Amino acid sequence: MRFVKIIERILAAIPVMLGVAVMVFAFMRLTPGDPVDLMMGEAGVVSKAEIQTIREQFKLDQPLPTQLFHYLSGLVRGDLGTSFKKKEPVGKLIFDRFPATMELALGSLLLGLAMGIPIGIWSAVKQSSALDRISMLGAFFGISMPPFWLGLILIIFFSATLGWLPVSGRITYGLAPTSITGMYMVDSLLTGRMDSFLSSLEHLLLPSVTLGLALASIIARIMRSSMLEVMRQDYVTLARAKGNREFIVVHKHALRNALIPTVTVVGIQIGVLLGGNMIVESVFGWPGIGRLAVDAIFARDYPLVQGVVIIYSLTYVMANLAVDILYTFLNPKITL
Amino acid sequence: MGFMRCLRSNIHTLKFPSPFPLPTGERGRVRGFERRMKMKRWILILAALFFSIPSMAFSQDKTLVVGIMSTVLSLDPANHRDRVTETVIRNMFDGLVTRTPDGRIVSEIAESWKNPSPTVWEFKIRKGITFHNGDPLTADDVKFTFDRIITENAIDGKTAMRKGLIDPLQKVDKIDDYTIQFNLNSPWPILLAMLPHQQIIPKKYFESVGTKGFLAKPIGAGPFRFVEGRLDERIVMERYDKYYGGSPEIKPVGPPPLKRVIFEVIPETATRIAALQAGKVHIIQNVPSHMVETLKRDSNVVVKTALGTRVHMFEMNVNQAPFNDVRVRMAMNHAVNMDIIVEKILGGFAKRMAGAILPHGLYFNEALKPYKHDPALAKKLLAEAGHSKGFPLVIDTIDTYKEVCEATAQQFRAVGIEASVRIWDWGVLRPLALNGERKIVFQSWGNSTLHPYDLLNPKLMSKDRGNYSQFSNPELDDLLKKGGVETNPDKAKEIYLRAQYLIYNEAPWVFGYVPMEIEACSKNVENWVPSSDSRINLHRVSLK
Repeated sequence: MRFVKIIERILAAIPVMLGVAVMVFAFMRLTPGDPVDLMMGEAGVVSKAEIQTIREQFKLDQPLPTQLFHYLSGLVRGDLGTSFKKKEPVGKLIFDRFPATMELALGSLLLGLAMGIPIGIWSAVKQSSALDRISMLGAFFGISMPPFWLGLILIIFFSATLGWLPVSGRITYGLAPTSITGMYMVDSLLTGRMDSFLSSLEHLLLPSVTLGLALASIIARIMRSSMLEVMRQDYVTLARAKGNREFIVVHKHALRNALIPTVTVVGIQIGVLLGGNMIVESVFGWPGIGRLAVDAIFARDYPLVQGVVIIYSLTYVMANLAVDILYTFLNPKITL
Repeated sequence: MGFMRCLRSNIHTLKFPSPFPLPTGERGRVRGFERRMKMKRWILILAALFFSIPSMAFSQDKTLVVGIMSTVLSLDPANHRDRVTETVIRNMFDGLVTRTPDGRIVSEIAESWKNPSPTVWEFKIRKGITFHNGDPLTADDVKFTFDRIITENAIDGKTAMRKGLIDPLQKVDKIDDYTIQFNLNSPWPILLAMLPHQQIIPKKYFESVGTKGFLAKPIGAGPFRFVEGRLDERIVMERYDKYYGGSPEIKPVGPPPLKRVIFEVIPETATRIAALQAGKVHIIQNVPSHMVETLKRDSNVVVKTALGTRVHMFEMNVNQAPFNDVRVRMAMNHAVNMDIIVEKILGGFAKRMAGAILPHGLYFNEALKPYKHDPALAKKLLAEAGHSKGFPLVIDTIDTYKEVCEATAQQFRAVGIEASVRIWDWGVLRPLALNGERKIVFQSWGNSTLHPYDLLNPKLMSKDRGNYSQFSNPELDDLLKKGGVETNPDKAKEIYLRAQYLIYNEAPWVFGYVPMEIEACSKNVENWVPSSDSRINLHRVSLK
């Protein structure tokens, strides 16, 4: 039954994706700025004939409905088109960079969860203690600090000054493992290369901390609020009255219900993280799809922007579906 | 190692408090202690392994790392329009001619050339040059390269992006194995200046692997051969030991000293600078002028500059009041103290321009002096033009030039003009400026050939693609058309001197400046100088 519901939800995503495809197509073409003009740059002589030739190559000389038809018919065949600027298939460009974004997203998420959940639980259990106040103050700063600034501070301190960690990139040259998933840490474990694993870990650390800290702050605050609410419920009092240890009361009885709002936030954040964070990717030279997307927007690289937005939408839809499925495990009363 | 010693000696004092009450009694104490010791042991092991992996294990075998500011678009020399991409490509591929760091054209793959008629050029190819796969370079490869660029739809059904850079080239003929002839559809004096931007590829190899295969493993005749690369991450090259030596006019001649070079993509300027200071890269490009003093204080870093080729100016819309009056345009030039802007805003890392042509460009008119900063004269001219009370003005520009424009706006306000600055995305501003919908725009234009043709023609010929001032003067149009096909240097000089006076007197621009290319390297980099066209040429560079 659940399986059928999941299939229904996936099928329901198709018209959503179609709507997104049409909307982004229209918005990009309505946005001022000509891609060919921008590609030629502000230098030298370019003849009108050359510009016309390139416009024809990109089918930009055709009426908008014709362009839309070509685009949608390509989409149905799984062809996202070819990037104007990079001259490569959009699907390949996104597919090549997605593992990097996935790796950074997972790293940030794990760090965020590993820090945020215990801190939230801790603060709720020891409400109003000095540790509670310090952790909530820390969470406040974590949310307020702009990732651009934090990333640069971390680089200046840990990379430039102390020399402990690399400045940018995904892995030291020469240590990249054989590509299986495209995620260096996973691939190095699968191929048994400890040197690659550690190198990719040290490269992943600072960008993950930059993104994970904000996520941990949000999770800690939400976890704390929901734990405080749940811990005041009658069934938790009953669990204590039955003589259970506090650890069992918190983890077995209170935590599962308290996790529901946190899972909601994590679901939204997964979508954000998997969409790539252009600022962090630029600061750390991380070759993900965030940077790809922003460069494409400024260059008016229509096929690439369209492709990236469709992937973002798909990511959000899948992430939300995963969150909804997780709800049903956390609380069997909730159905899809 | 100091960190490791410290970690080992203090590990027993590390505490890991738990929010939950631990098991009580003797059994709880023992269990808790064992758990803590196990955790500390693992942390120690991981930390030891972690910090033993070098972040960049290159210094022992002479690997030089360059931090570049944007991704490489392609490894196909014919199919991109990007300076950073060209910088990387030109370390793997050579062209018929090249440029010295100070901008002179010298021989490279071509050992000599002649121009038997205004539309015909003949190049003699140097013998003994090989590609990275050992194949000899002959006229067939040169013909193949240029045919692929100039023929419509020659690259997998699409036309090469660089076709427009040699637009007048109509046909390429092989005379013999080492002689090639270029036939132009009209005389083109800047052919030699444009040829450094085209690099030779191997015909036989390309035809055997196709475009896709070539992009996966490019082969050229340059000093370095491709090893591996991800265009958005890093490109790795190694020395080509059988390199013919490059241009004999740029010393030293021979294979490169460096064994390996790596171009690392580091888009964020602050990160690039941090990487240089941390010793992770050896050369970085595009250092902002306000960071120069910081870098100069670092004894391990050397800052180097070269006069650039991007002209910066305010373009006034001559079809809109008040700029349809030349007196107002002259007043704007007198109102601005461009020397102060160069000194204070740009840190002195720019050269003021007297007129429209680069001060180190071809046919620059030495007699032209910049408009004198004279607010009183500016006010007088404005009053004569009927604007004694000034007028409102919005200076349109992009974020990069915000400071310069705000400083200039302040100077305009001093003569009664209510100037303010508006920042745009260039993609949105450009069509508005081109359609004449904006009054004054601050932008720049590249002139890497140093020839006035590809600066003045697009910027000041009637309705040309960069003419944001909407300037239209039949005499200037005529002069620029003649200059574009005049191959006699003396006659060309006459034409361009006249053009410069005309532009200066009509003042469609507030003439600005040309900034320096500021780059930096670590102190152990030898024999490297920045180029005015921002190219990073590693052929002759070595590491101490």
